Amino acid sequence: MPMLLRVIGYLLVIESLFMLIPCIIALIYGEDSFLDFLICAGISGACGGGMMMLKPKTKEMGKREAILLTGMTWVILSLFGMLPFLSVGTHLSVSDAFFETMSGFTTTGASVLNTLIGIPKSILAWRCVVQWVGGLGIILFTLAVVPMLNYSGGMQLFNAEVTGITHDKLRPRVSYTAKGLWGVYILLTILLIVFLSFSKMSFFDAFCHGLSTISTGGFSTSDMSIAQWNSIYLKIVMCVFMFLGGVNFSLLFNLLTGKGGNPFKNTAFKCYVVIILVCYIGFVINILIEGLAENWEYLTIDPLFQTISILSSTGITEPNFHDWGSISIALLLVMIVMGSCAGSTSGGAKVDRFVVLFKFLKTEFYKMMHPSTVTTVTINGKGTSGSVVQKTLAFLFLYVMVICIGGLAMSLMGLPLSDSFFCALSAISNTGLGTEVTGLSENYALIPDAAKWLLSLIMLIGRLEIFTILLLFTPTFWKR
Amino acid sequence: MKIVIAGAGEVGTHLAKMLSNEDQDIILLDNDQARLDVIDSNYNLMTWNGSTSSFSSLRDVGVSNADLYIAVTPYETRNITSCAIAKRLGAKKTVARIDNSEFLNPDNGAILKDVGADFLIYPENIAAQEIAVALYHNWARYWGELHNGGLLLIGVKLHGDSPLLDCKLRDLPVKTHDFHVAAIKRNNETIIPNGNDEIRRDDIVYFITTPPFIQEVREICGKKKRIIKKALIVGGSRIAQRFAKLYNEEFHIKIIDNDRENCENMATILPNCEIVYGDALDIEVLRENNIYQYDAFLALTDSSETNILSCLTAKEFGVPKTIADVENLQFLSQAENLNIGTTINKKLFASSHIFKILLDADESNSKFLALADAEVAEIYVKHNAKITKSPVKDLKLPFGMTLAALVRENEIQLINGNTHIQECDFVVVFCLSGTIHKIEKWFN
Repeated sequence: MPMLLRVIGYLLVIESLFMLIPCIIALIYGEDSFLDFLICAGISGACGGGMMMLKPKTKEMGKREAILLTGMTWVILSLFGMLPFLSVGTHLSVSDAFFETMSGFTTTGASVLNTLIGIPKSILAWRCVVQWVGGLGIILFTLAVVPMLNYSGGMQLFNAEVTGITHDKLRPRVSYTAKGLWGVYILLTILLIVFLSFSKMSFFDAFCHGLSTISTGGFSTSDMSIAQWNSIYLKIVMCVFMFLGGVNFSLLFNLLTGKGGNPFKNTAFKCYVVIILVCYIGFVINILIEGLAENWEYLTIDPLFQTISILSSTGITEPNFHDWGSISIALLLVMIVMGSCAGSTSGGAKVDRFVVLFKFLKTEFYKMMHPSTVTTVTINGKGTSGSVVQKTLAFLFLYVMVICIGGLAMSLMGLPLSDSFFCALSAISNTGLGTEVTGLSENYALIPDAAKWLLSLIMLIGRLEIFTILLLFTPTFWKR
Repeated sequence: MKIVIAGAGEVGTHLAKMLSNEDQDIILLDNDQARLDVIDSNYNLMTWNGSTSSFSSLRDVGVSNADLYIAVTPYETRNITSCAIAKRLGAKKTVARIDNSEFLNPDNGAILKDVGADFLIYPENIAAQEIAVALYHNWARYWGELHNGGLLLIGVKLHGDSPLLDCKLRDLPVKTHDFHVAAIKRNNETIIPNGNDEIRRDDIVYFITTPPFIQEVREICGKKKRIIKKALIVGGSRIAQRFAKLYNEEFHIKIIDNDRENCENMATILPNCEIVYGDALDIEVLRENNIYQYDAFLALTDSSETNILSCLTAKEFGVPKTIADVENLQFLSQAENLNIGTTINKKLFASSHIFKILLDADESNSKFLALADAEVAEIYVKHNAKITKSPVKDLKLPFGMTLAALVRENEIQLINGNTHIQECDFVVVFCLSGTIHKIEKWFN
């Protein structure tokens, strides 16, 4: 236990350092939230520092500790991360602030703020920083910078946080792997911010959007989101980087270091691209049928932007998406569940898992005709073991279960039926879209407090890919 | 250092875990995914599914920039092929596990080196030699030689009649300081003692000393010198055959095995040894073979349980020295607590052997011997190091370490309170696992 607290201490200190970013922004723009942020950073830093002082008897960390630590970390960091929302400018209630922070860390991007007009810039920046940190995972960041975790215990943490059925290691030691992934992430972020600042955006907006786009979170600095700037250049840049945010970062790392070869040999990546194209065509047909195409933009960049935004779980919508009609909504639901590649910053059930299951179904059907055939599911040109298929099946079953139970619980809290299920789906997939009450424009202020806590939990379950959190609720986990 | 280990068998796995804890970059190559999965999710290393003798998988794991390539699959020809490929692809050093003594012959070794296998390890051969050492120094539990035998690390289990029992280390009833108590092992726990610690009955005490004082150490431990002439071996395993082959002139050897074919085979290749067909767990068989006449009993079957039990039986018959081959690492500490004398483990021998090869290649690492949970390190004293400031007794050294000996201009001397450590000395330090970095700052 002291070991767990010590690691959480490290994480809190890192979080307090991140809090200094909005602090600097407040200073630049002469906002009085400067002091509040400094206090929040001080509180987290002091708590973290105190916990770091603990001298654990043993450095050993087993599976149980690693999973507990991962779950606890995300909750505790959200608790400290919500301090600025409580104190500065917005003065949210505890439920609202926690929801907002969790939505940020899990890169869901659902917000309880009715309007962003009049909100201090430092708070807007903090929301985006939170998403950026949560995008690739704060534990992964810690693994990269804290040498103490560079042993087998760190490996367990890596497994508990990083998404995907199996976890690729880039290098033998976990800290190098973490450094490599974060290196790619930081590089992409800087590129994006530079590209964005060439558009009509101010540097501050470019900075915030840069952070929230590459992490596929989708927090914006404007009520109208990117429609505010209405620029094709902007949309193209965002498209490219949301797309990259949905690609497996190990793959990106290998491509950047020249070890990758042909990315289309990667099954998940290939499917990701194909799905984007298919959905794009679906949207185009839909727009044509509805007769909405006013000019060429309506048929090219808009539907493409929409496809990538939803598939990568960023969840930024086109202003006229409401009018696209029911086929689009149906397509939207499929895409939310699908998500993009494992090992990326995006949410959803991940393309990789669907690939595995579709291939598995194919072999099953084949076996019905030829019962004695022995088959395996091949991914990236290599056969996989049966346990991968089993894990994937279990995962999807739980996915559906969480959505059902979450939706049921929320409809008991008085939300309309479609809303409750849609919210649950949107939360577990970390997309952050809503429908009627919550509105497609991402506003969760109206739903009851209990539902906010529930959704926060579902978002966390979705971000840590279900098993990590649900395991904490099983008796086997606690049995010695 | 980047190390590629081919073969996730017992030796390979143990080595990978150990080296990963030493902060080395480890890639473990094997073609059994199920075996790799367990290691992959629990240890800080990378695993790769592929054949150990396939060009493409060796390229995939990046053998070209590996500092060390270790092939430890159970098949020697595969290991050598694999090393040959790895060497040609650019691995700096290669190690192959073999099970054929012919390869160890220096003339033949050169041919293998040409092929690409730089170092060879033969675990059965190492085990056989260790058994012989244990039989020569049969009063000790552990016998380790450093600096080509210039410095000795001796572990002794203390029973009844030693003057050392129940007295504090600072009041030891000896006048000279010709040995150091470097560590005490008591109920699975290793203690690095200071002057206030006591030695109790049934402790295993590790002494560091130099060869002229072996006699003295033996006497204060209350052990008698015994020359072993006759050894009874149970189980005709590869270690047993190797031992019999190497030492059939020094000892009178009898091997009992329960496989008739194997017995006949051994009878032809080991003409100087007595071979008996029978079940060693049967007391009648042991009695028939005059077990009480033997000085040593070696249980070397493939089953650790059988070995431990038959050693206990042999002790009851009054055999003074028993040695058991315990291959299950979990059993090892249990076996040490039972009164069965020396235990040997092929895997540990092989991995510590490879460890030494590794250390020769990596000069920054100062460790050169590892016990269960303690380490012996040799540290070079740099210019202006804190440790040179005053004699050892006036330094406020941290707990958990003993300065055992120093090597100054190729001369070995033991360290006592009045020793003043100087620059350019090599100091042999005994410490608990994982504390070495705390100690190193004293020397920089």
